[in-house]
Amino acid sequence: MSTTVQSSSVARQGFRRGGRMNPGAPVEKPKDGKKTFGRMLAWFRPEWGYVLCLALAVLLAVGASVVGPSLQSSAIDKMVTREFDKIPRFLGLMLLAYLANGIATLLQGFFSARLSQRVIFRLRAQLFQKVIGLPIPWLDNHSHGDVMSRMTNDAENVSNVISSSLSSLFSGVLMLIGTVVMMLRYSPALTGLTCVTVVLSVVLTRVMTRIMRRYYLRRQQLLGTLNGIVEEKVSACRTVTAYNLQKQAITEFDSASDELTKTGISADIIGNAMGPLMNMLNNLSFVIVAAFGAWFALRGSISVGVISAFIIYSKQFSRPVNELAQLYGQIQTAVAGAERIFEILDAESEDRSGESTLPVTEGTVEFSHVNFSYVPGKQIIHDFNLRVEAGKKIALVGSTGSGKTTIVNLLMRFYPLDSGSICVDGVDIRDISCDVLRDSIGIVLQDTVLFTDTLRNNLKYADHSIPDRSMLEAAQSANCDRIADALPEGYDTVLTGAGANLSQGQRQLVTIGRAFLSYPKILILDEATSSVDTRTEREIQNAMTELMRDRTSLIIAHCLSTIRDADQIIVMDQGHIMETGTHDELLEKQGYYYRLYMTQFAGQET
Amino acid sequence: MKTIWRYVRKYWLFALLASAFMVAEVFVDLLQPDMMARIVNEGILGIGNNGVSDLPLILSTGLRMLLVVIAGGLFGFLSGMFANITGYSCANDLRKGCFSRIMYFSFGQTDRFTTGSLITRITNDVDQVRSLIMQMIRGLVRCAMFFVGGTMALLRLDLSFGVIVACALPLILIDIIFVVWRTNPLFLLLQQCLDRLNSMIQEDVTGIRVIKAFVQEESEEKRFARANQDLVNTQFNVQMMLSFLRPVMNIVLNLAVVGILYVGSVQVRDGSLAPGSVMAAITYISQILNGMMMLAMIFQTISRGATSAKRLEEVLLTEAELHEEIPAADELPAGEDRSPEAVADRNAAAPASETESPAKPGTVVFEHVCFSYGADDGQTPPGKGNREILHDINLSIRPGETFAIIGSTGCGKTSLVNLIPRFYDATQGRVLVNGRDVREYPPEELRERVTVCLQKSELFSTTIRDNIIAGRADASEEEMVRAAESAQAHGFILEQPQGYDTPVAERGMSLSGGQRQRVAIARALLKGGDVMIFDDSTSALDLRTEAALYTALRKDYEGVTKIFIAQRIASVRSADRIAVMDGGRILGVGSHEKLMKFNRVYREIYDSQMREEEQE
Repeated sequence: MSTTVQSSSVARQGFRRGGRMNPGAPVEKPKDGKKTFGRMLAWFRPEWGYVLCLALAVLLAVGASVVGPSLQSSAIDKMVTREFDKIPRFLGLMLLAYLANGIATLLQGFFSARLSQRVIFRLRAQLFQKVIGLPIPWLDNHSHGDVMSRMTNDAENVSNVISSSLSSLFSGVLMLIGTVVMMLRYSPALTGLTCVTVVLSVVLTRVMTRIMRRYYLRRQQLLGTLNGIVEEKVSACRTVTAYNLQKQAITEFDSASDELTKTGISADIIGNAMGPLMNMLNNLSFVIVAAFGAWFALRGSISVGVISAFIIYSKQFSRPVNELAQLYGQIQTAVAGAERIFEILDAESEDRSGESTLPVTEGTVEFSHVNFSYVPGKQIIHDFNLRVEAGKKIALVGSTGSGKTTIVNLLMRFYPLDSGSICVDGVDIRDISCDVLRDSIGIVLQDTVLFTDTLRNNLKYADHSIPDRSMLEAAQSANCDRIADALPEGYDTVLTGAGANLSQGQRQLVTIGRAFLSYPKILILDEATSSVDTRTEREIQNAMTELMRDRTSLIIAHCLSTIRDADQIIVMDQGHIMETGTHDELLEKQGYYYRLYMTQFAGQET
Repeated sequence: MKTIWRYVRKYWLFALLASAFMVAEVFVDLLQPDMMARIVNEGILGIGNNGVSDLPLILSTGLRMLLVVIAGGLFGFLSGMFANITGYSCANDLRKGCFSRIMYFSFGQTDRFTTGSLITRITNDVDQVRSLIMQMIRGLVRCAMFFVGGTMALLRLDLSFGVIVACALPLILIDIIFVVWRTNPLFLLLQQCLDRLNSMIQEDVTGIRVIKAFVQEESEEKRFARANQDLVNTQFNVQMMLSFLRPVMNIVLNLAVVGILYVGSVQVRDGSLAPGSVMAAITYISQILNGMMMLAMIFQTISRGATSAKRLEEVLLTEAELHEEIPAADELPAGEDRSPEAVADRNAAAPASETESPAKPGTVVFEHVCFSYGADDGQTPPGKGNREILHDINLSIRPGETFAIIGSTGCGKTSLVNLIPRFYDATQGRVLVNGRDVREYPPEELRERVTVCLQKSELFSTTIRDNIIAGRADASEEEMVRAAESAQAHGFILEQPQGYDTPVAERGMSLSGGQRQRVAIARALLKGGDVMIFDDSTSALDLRTEAALYTALRKDYEGVTKIFIAQRIASVRSADRIAVMDGGRILGVGSHEKLMKFNRVYREIYDSQMREEEQE
């Protein structure tokens, strides 16, 4: 008797990381399922060998479990007819069939695991490569959370479906066909009666699913709300404590939690009713087979052994039917996920091309008539003209939102210009390949991004083959040596991504050290020292003057004392250049810069 | 686990009902094969009736089976219902218990757990424990019942079937134990691989500009490929281990069926058993072994649930660090810094003895305060295992004074002010607010009196209005607007699409950094108190706005003690007194002019910012 141990997919789901799929859990509908599914299948094309092996294993497993019950039926018939000497032959055949089934199932597991892991590996790598190569504007238009969830949740969803659902689907369909054929051979009438319960269970599933969907949707929303509260209140726990908001937070949380509990109970009472109901239907088919089978046996149209075979067949038959509905939902959700993945894969990659691959030697930068807007119609930069001679130190100042950072973004070729041109060493940056352009520019960004890696590797980010000696030198110039001294394992301490082990100012110092170590022709500091105290800042500046002797530097700062010795100061407001000149010239002018300057040093509003 | 069971005990009646109905459901399920055997034996084959078939018996037994089926369904439903009520209610209590615990954690406790881990505990771990509870009251009962009941039914048919159960059972158990034993560590590894991959994705997506700027796309791909390969390999191993479970089980199960058929055929030949009973025996053995099979899943849930339960217990058993004893006076260490400069500066600070008499609202006094992070976990003796952040701080801040603190990155400014509202406790010495030790205050009252505007402006995802009035929900519209005006926020708030009712979007997508800071400042101003602390909370403001803010603060909040942490001389020079900090010590306290004359470090800071101005 092939009591193929209770539903494979259920067993596997139980083991799956958190991914408990309830029947009736909201199923997402893909937009163009057929096309996406076709493209998903294309992932398997390079693995056709594994696919073939998997198909063969499934075929063997299903075949063995379809044959088994008929052998059992014959054995029982021989008992009834008291031909005991013939029984051992059937028992031997049964053993053979089930051994074959066991081995085939094992192979099926192996091939399916291999296949899915190979496909997923390639998918993830492809996706990552794509995301890393996407243009910045694309990433601006998609929330990071969304991109993350496509790369993690959706990819995992798709991978789970590939690994379990597809082979379950295949074996389920085969099993269905094989069982029906066998049942029809024994008794068409009893087959028809058995089908009644199957039809009943399909109808029941559909009705229940429709009822449950509403509850599960509601539960999902409430869960989202609750998680939102937890996330916000726990990560802002300092504020909560400082403002004595604990009671308020707890009340808010408690009411959300209570509501979730209520909805959760009603959703799962209905959801869990599916189990007993299905069990009931299974038992019903047992009763039908027993009672009607007995009646048919009395009339002599079937033997007693057939009843025993039917008991197994009806189980083998109804299981895939129940599973198929669930599998269908899973596959639909996965296809919807795959659609979102394809959306990324289909996005156009950053244009990194450029004929000029010669390294930048001078470091002159020229902006001419540059116009730019992030969103069409909301122009950020208006007719920006600026020529920076090689080896000069240029400062950009201006209030928040005046377009300083945008200028830097444009120079890095992070965004395409609306009109005008930017030239480095006289060559339009659109003609310089991104690799060369960015290699020659060292940049310290406003947000201090460090990687979860050792301090050493973070400093050597531009090139891991830099000798330690140079690293130590650069670290010293950027005042990072003190940070290393304070860390438990010095330069080999792993920095956590959230930077829990460094203060904001220290993180800035590390990013400065990192930029120094890329030995750029052009160095850009975008508010790079805003959290660093002014004495340290001054020391870094001195080091920089040394380092940047023959190089061009572009500094954005809101602390004016740091830019006083710049060769040229550009005062910006709302995307326009207001004034340019040296510190002394601008002070003499008594214009915009003068007012900014006085504000800062008087400590009072003018 | 003990603590968790205390939560379950509250719902013992529901738990009991769930288990009882589960027993009933299984019992009913076990009746079926026996009835079928009767249909075959007595109905069809007419055993006991001289081989004459009995159609009425078939029909009546069939009808009875139908009733039994319906009863089984009902019992199953009821069992599920009560189990759900128990599970969800316990989870609810646990969740609420943990959350309210966490809300009253000290900063030190939150630091130790890390907020990320606390969030997972409340969300994911609670859910795991819910599954655990439900599996315990339903799954285990179901398994045990199928095993005990099934075996009894089987033995009642024929004692010799017991041999087969006795042979098959150990094989199945070994299989389960082997797989669970081998996969459990793998699951842990799998989780780590997954976490690593996910955090790498997150890091790279947020740091995309840096990657591009340094042209490191390829090396990131390689780094990712390694993590990806690790994950895929682990996942493959887990799947392989799991795919062993099923075929082995199937083989054992089917061997048992063949065994039953063989033993049964012998008994039938001897006339001690009817063929229908052999059929029933086959159904029983598959029920027994299927029940065992469920054990594998239940083990999994239990082991995962137990880990989660432990993590929840850690939270539940952590007592909020609030009322601790005050160290006796003789434990206070002697000052160690005896340089002439330090001594002179200490004289500038008010002598400690002055504070013994009840002080006016708004005084803050530090007496011989030392502090190091993580010293309060009782594992490392203060000052030994952890680096000391503050050394013997003596400081007295007067009511209504504007007091500024300046010093280099990492010198302990934030740590110093964090001791005032008792975000952390001093390792040695004591901090007094209004003449009273902060540890003597009920924490809420202390934080009523002391308002802090934090370095990181955390806003809640409600409207701007709700954010500003968070600290004082009963504030009038005028009071709120006045606070916003002083914080230089009123102007830009009115420019928002819905003014004060504009929602603050997630992570402040709608507001710029400077705007968020000003909303946070308005929130602090509205809350008020005797002492207000601004911890570098104007760093994102441009110079003019910052200057206007300082002017407004001096004018509108004259009676309140204001403590600023700042980086720029321009921000601090007009303060009544300025403290210069370096390396966890106060190097000097005094007015701008006085510090310029007597304090070398202050002069250095000044020079670095203002050098040329003095010469003009």
